[in-house]
Amino acid sequence: MSEVRQPARGAPRSYTRQVLVEVLSRWGARLGLAWIAVLIVLAVFAPFLANSRPLLAATASGLVTPLIADLTAVDVTLLVVFFASLALLPLRLRVRSKLGILAGVIVLTAVAGQALLTPSQIVVHQQYREAEATGEYRWAIYPPIPYSPKDYLRDFGDTGLEPPLAASGRSHWFGTDKHGADVLSRMIHASRIALGIGLVATGIALGIGVIIGGLMGYFAGVVDILGMRLVEIFEAIPLLFLLLTFVAFFGRSLYLMMVIIGITSWPGYARYIRAEFLKLRQQEFVQAAIACGLPLHSVLFRHMLPNGLAPLLVTASFGVASAILAETTLSFLGLGLVDDPSWGQMLNQAVQSSTFNWWMAAFPGGAIFLTVFGYNLVGEALRDAVDPYLKKAAA
Amino acid sequence: MLLRVDNLKTHLQVSGETVRAVDGISFHIDEGETFCLVGESGSGKSITALSVMQLLPPHVSRHPAGRIEFRYRHPEGQREWVDILQLSEARKLGIRGARIAMIFQEPMTSLNPVFTVGDQIIEALQLHDPELDEAEARERAIAALDQVRIPAPAQRIDDYPHRLSGGQRQRVMIAMAMALEPDLLIADEPTTALDVTVQAEILRLMKDLQRRQGMSILFITHDFGVVSQMAERLAVMRLGQIVESDSLESILHRPQHPYTRQLIAALPENLKRSRGQGPEGRGQRGGEPLLRVAGLSVHFPVKQGVLRRTVDQVRAVDGVDLQIERGRILALVGESGCGKTTLGRALLRLIEPTAGRIEFDGQTISGLPARQLRPFRRRMQIVFQDPISSLNPRLTVATMLIEPMKVHGLGADDDERIAVAERTLERVNMEPGHLWRYPHEFSGGQRQRLGIARALVLEPRFIVCDEVTSALDVSVQAELLQMLLKLRYEKDLALLFITHDIGVVEYVSDETAVMNAGRIVERGPTDRVCGDPQDPYTQRLLAAVPRVPL
Amino acid sequence: MVPTLVGITVVVFAIMAASPGGISSQALVEGQNLEPQAKKALMEYYNRRYGLDDPPPIQYLRWLNNVSPIGFTFNEANEISGFSLLKGSDLGESFRYGRPVAGLLADRVPITLLLNLLSLPLIYVIAISIGVRAATQRGQAFDVGSSVIMLALWSVPTMLTGVLLIGFFASDQYWHWFPTAGLSEREALDMPFLPHWGSAHDVLILFAGVAGGVVLALLLSRRGGRALRSVTLALLGGWAGYLMSAQLPGADWQAAPLLLPALGAAVLGGIGLLEYPGLRDAAIASIGLVTGILAVTPLMEEAFVRGFLLDRLWHLALPVICLSYSGFAFLSRLTRSAVLENLLSDYARTARAKGAPESLVLWRHVFRNSLLPLITVAATLLPGLLMGSVIVESIFSIDGMGKLAVEAVKDRDSELVLSITLISGLLNLAGYLIADLAYALADPRVSYE
Repeated sequence: MSEVRQPARGAPRSYTRQVLVEVLSRWGARLGLAWIAVLIVLAVFAPFLANSRPLLAATASGLVTPLIADLTAVDVTLLVVFFASLALLPLRLRVRSKLGILAGVIVLTAVAGQALLTPSQIVVHQQYREAEATGEYRWAIYPPIPYSPKDYLRDFGDTGLEPPLAASGRSHWFGTDKHGADVLSRMIHASRIALGIGLVATGIALGIGVIIGGLMGYFAGVVDILGMRLVEIFEAIPLLFLLLTFVAFFGRSLYLMMVIIGITSWPGYARYIRAEFLKLRQQEFVQAAIACGLPLHSVLFRHMLPNGLAPLLVTASFGVASAILAETTLSFLGLGLVDDPSWGQMLNQAVQSSTFNWWMAAFPGGAIFLTVFGYNLVGEALRDAVDPYLKKAAA
Repeated sequence: MLLRVDNLKTHLQVSGETVRAVDGISFHIDEGETFCLVGESGSGKSITALSVMQLLPPHVSRHPAGRIEFRYRHPEGQREWVDILQLSEARKLGIRGARIAMIFQEPMTSLNPVFTVGDQIIEALQLHDPELDEAEARERAIAALDQVRIPAPAQRIDDYPHRLSGGQRQRVMIAMAMALEPDLLIADEPTTALDVTVQAEILRLMKDLQRRQGMSILFITHDFGVVSQMAERLAVMRLGQIVESDSLESILHRPQHPYTRQLIAALPENLKRSRGQGPEGRGQRGGEPLLRVAGLSVHFPVKQGVLRRTVDQVRAVDGVDLQIERGRILALVGESGCGKTTLGRALLRLIEPTAGRIEFDGQTISGLPARQLRPFRRRMQIVFQDPISSLNPRLTVATMLIEPMKVHGLGADDDERIAVAERTLERVNMEPGHLWRYPHEFSGGQRQRLGIARALVLEPRFIVCDEVTSALDVSVQAELLQMLLKLRYEKDLALLFITHDIGVVEYVSDETAVMNAGRIVERGPTDRVCGDPQDPYTQRLLAAVPRVPL
Repeated sequence: MVPTLVGITVVVFAIMAASPGGISSQALVEGQNLEPQAKKALMEYYNRRYGLDDPPPIQYLRWLNNVSPIGFTFNEANEISGFSLLKGSDLGESFRYGRPVAGLLADRVPITLLLNLLSLPLIYVIAISIGVRAATQRGQAFDVGSSVIMLALWSVPTMLTGVLLIGFFASDQYWHWFPTAGLSEREALDMPFLPHWGSAHDVLILFAGVAGGVVLALLLSRRGGRALRSVTLALLGGWAGYLMSAQLPGADWQAAPLLLPALGAAVLGGIGLLEYPGLRDAAIASIGLVTGILAVTPLMEEAFVRGFLLDRLWHLALPVICLSYSGFAFLSRLTRSAVLENLLSDYARTARAKGAPESLVLWRHVFRNSLLPLITVAATLLPGLLMGSVIVESIFSIDGMGKLAVEAVKDRDSELVLSITLISGLLNLAGYLIADLAYALADPRVSYE
């Protein structure tokens, strides 16, 4: 059926805009992006959503803001970047300039925050509740969830696993974990780790993969053979075992985990970019660019890379989902971060004692599921949008 | 009469819209005759064929009107007129393959790669005769292969399709179609993807088989030369309708409908006649050669084994001598795999020559390092065959035209360059407003023109045209060729015109070189080479080209 | 193949050598609590194996020599004494278990392999049946529905499923239908291999129950109309839900007697509405089977001995489900796209033009070609399965290689970790090799060089 006439289409659109429109028109992508947006908001505003410290309290000597006083550099940087991105969005600048400004803002705030902010090193979470009880605070406004993730509620006695809304005198909407900390609060703060690992690890893996894959695809020959061997080696070892080995010998730390997950997942991207570049090299517009005498960097970055990148976004979207899964798996197995909140670690507590604590499985598990599902939906929508468009352009 | 199509309409659902692919056509085919359906791409001729076979996917196609009446032959012998559109699925299965058979355009992908050739022919036989036993089916399959002149059929029957060439695969398709001795064979552009010599053989085979079995053929094509070989009656289709239907002789010499007239006028044989008028037809003679090539070779090593040792060389280009003067058009003709595309790219050093010397405007460029080659890149350009992959889908036309100018330092600022770009677009008969659009918004012919514009924007002296019109319809091709001749005249360009289409060669070029297996076997002025070929290969090639008897 | 193998060893060793403190650091950290003699013995052990004072490349070579079955042999004074082709592979000693690693692995690896090999066919069968149907019914209810469900299933992390399955179906709080942990009960080791019924009377009754259940079910599925099917099944589901809620110990879930029957009715009724005959027949037949067995069980008189085989299967049921669902979710979408692509291909069109009915085109031509990418992807499934076994084994307390790996990491048992990573890499390579061979067999265009 090669002779069907295509009905005429409307106004001209650039490729990026076209893909964006197609992606956003699918309900799957909308759901996924909506959930990711919710997560981003939760991650950025975590200290304001779940904290034992009151936002505002009145003492004899005036108003105090313990919450704001205790913000860390990371908290502030995230807030600033969030608002900066929102501000930059409607501006009519090129994408490169916007990214540059954003990078500058991040560096500036991080450095300034590190230097200027002084969050308390040791926190005694119950002091705020005690202050209110003793009357030191005349009134206090708390965040919606008045429990910090590491607040083990020692002032309430011997606390432990409790189902939702079970205890009297305090309302834990999602129950408490085995140390007594509020589950909802821990979940909100854990979203930072989930998103952070997802994006940073995938970013590292993409970076390594694109460079190696691009070199393999463009130069072919010896470079290609060596590169493929490297890819095969890293692919032959199951990811989890490699991660386990790393953790065994290098210990645990959040940043280390991000880097490790990134280092271990690059082969997929490398293969992809290599295949794309090999294909693109034979495309006639690349040959034409060379024939026109265009310099190598222009051929690579202006002609080849943009055409290979869009499909890469599809893989990256699935990649973020699997990076998040990798971190939760490690945490679940007890090999992740020790004290910091993490969805996987909470899931682990569901079957630890001889009883089945369903709220530790349902809520953190549900969050993991929704996040992974969200990214997968976005990835699927991207794939549907990118492929047929290329084919339509070819028709 | 065997088949009568009466006011057939076929509507297709494409991306939510209804396309009237076939919009009320009527024709008939008698027993034992060959009837051609001619048209350009998008005319609906393939859909017509698929409608007769009822091979369109049921959920996207429907027939709001029309009848397809076929004189069906029962197994016991008696005949009955049936309307194919009204038949039950079971009866349609009985007709498909057994009474009406079809062969398609792409022989390379039309056979199932995981079954042997024999299995596929035997399957056709057993589908319509379940009682047939294995041994007899195999005998009949071998006989069918023999009939289509496949050598050593008893051995070939157990081969997998990937071991056969394109021509051989098409023969297998014909064998499969003919094995059940159908009354009607529908052939949808069966030779378009084949070399011209192979095409000649297949066409001859089909005519032979038709005569022997008294079969009718519905032959679909866009090539009038092929029509002239195969049929006496034809119908011209356009946009789902038949605009004219008559005998071959009438249509060629006395076309009535404006579209038919346009088509006939665009035939290269007819273009040749109109070429005599105007100075554009003439290329100037003499002068120093702009491009001189001596002993050019491009060899690719064949590597095998674990250690990737070089065991052999593929001699794509094997010692070629050429020269082209300024303002002249040299046509480079040959069949697929002869090395003409490799030669064209080697001239521009897109592929590095293994040996030989290339001289451009008196200077040797074959050994130059990349930096020194850059100024020459301005003066030597190339236009490609495939309108789809020759333009970067991410860039606007403006960027595509302006970037090379920037790199070579043409024009003082962007405004000046935009003005130059607009002028170049006008020269290739496109509008200046098209500068700001993206390639996917243009048709195939327009994209080829954009490719030529990209080559022109640097004001080159020499352009390699690599099969630039092979992917285009006849009428579009005619426009493009006329445009090239005009440009050659205006700019005093030298062109290397690579093609496999002899008709185009005679129209467009001053000199012709014939290439075979990496070597130039004959060279000279076009009139001489095409009128009085000396080399046996050239003679065979020219003899195989289907001519339109005008 | 060989260079990749060597590469794996280099990477694995490099990680260890690059860690803070080097090779023996972990043991020394752990060994801080040991008495001086034990610590000295440990140091000697490491020196013998790696040569603690040698530079890392030499250490790597020594380790490689130890691990490979062919290599140099050493004498007491730690000097090269000869070259042997049958030296055997020395994977070191696990200091936590006090046994040679090789022995430990020999115990555990077969169990992991059992889990994975059971999952593979399950994955393929389910994926193909769903994927093919979705492709042929493109755009319709089954296709859209199954695509969403499969994507959602694929997104559910294995840990969550495992935890939920154990929590609800293998614990004392809800339904204790499945065993909580391990691969077999201790008593099972004394049991005969096959199940054993007390009397012939019981066997007959069982047979009657099974046969009656299956036959009635198939009749319902094939002959009954949509309404009859869904109503009967809904009633059955409702009743099963009620029984389930009656089994719940404790009174904490008040809503159970209402919720469960409704859920049961909805699910089973939905099965009755399926228009996919193959899947529907299979599902309803199995419902009939279970109902038949359950119906006649009260009538049986004598004791029923489970037998080793059934016991093993009963223990394996949940872990295998947990391990395979993400595999078949992924594979079914791949099958769908492969089948779709082939349905639109030129050779499928040729087959139709020959007069082949659509079912023949699908199962003879398209299916055969669609298998090719499925075979290739088997090579990628393997790492996923091995990773999944780590989680599943940990959750279900099955003593396989994966669980061993996790414990080894927690205990900083370096020899064990290294060996396990190496073995898992080897298993993967073996899997790739088998997949390559299978592909070369299936696709006549490929000649194995």
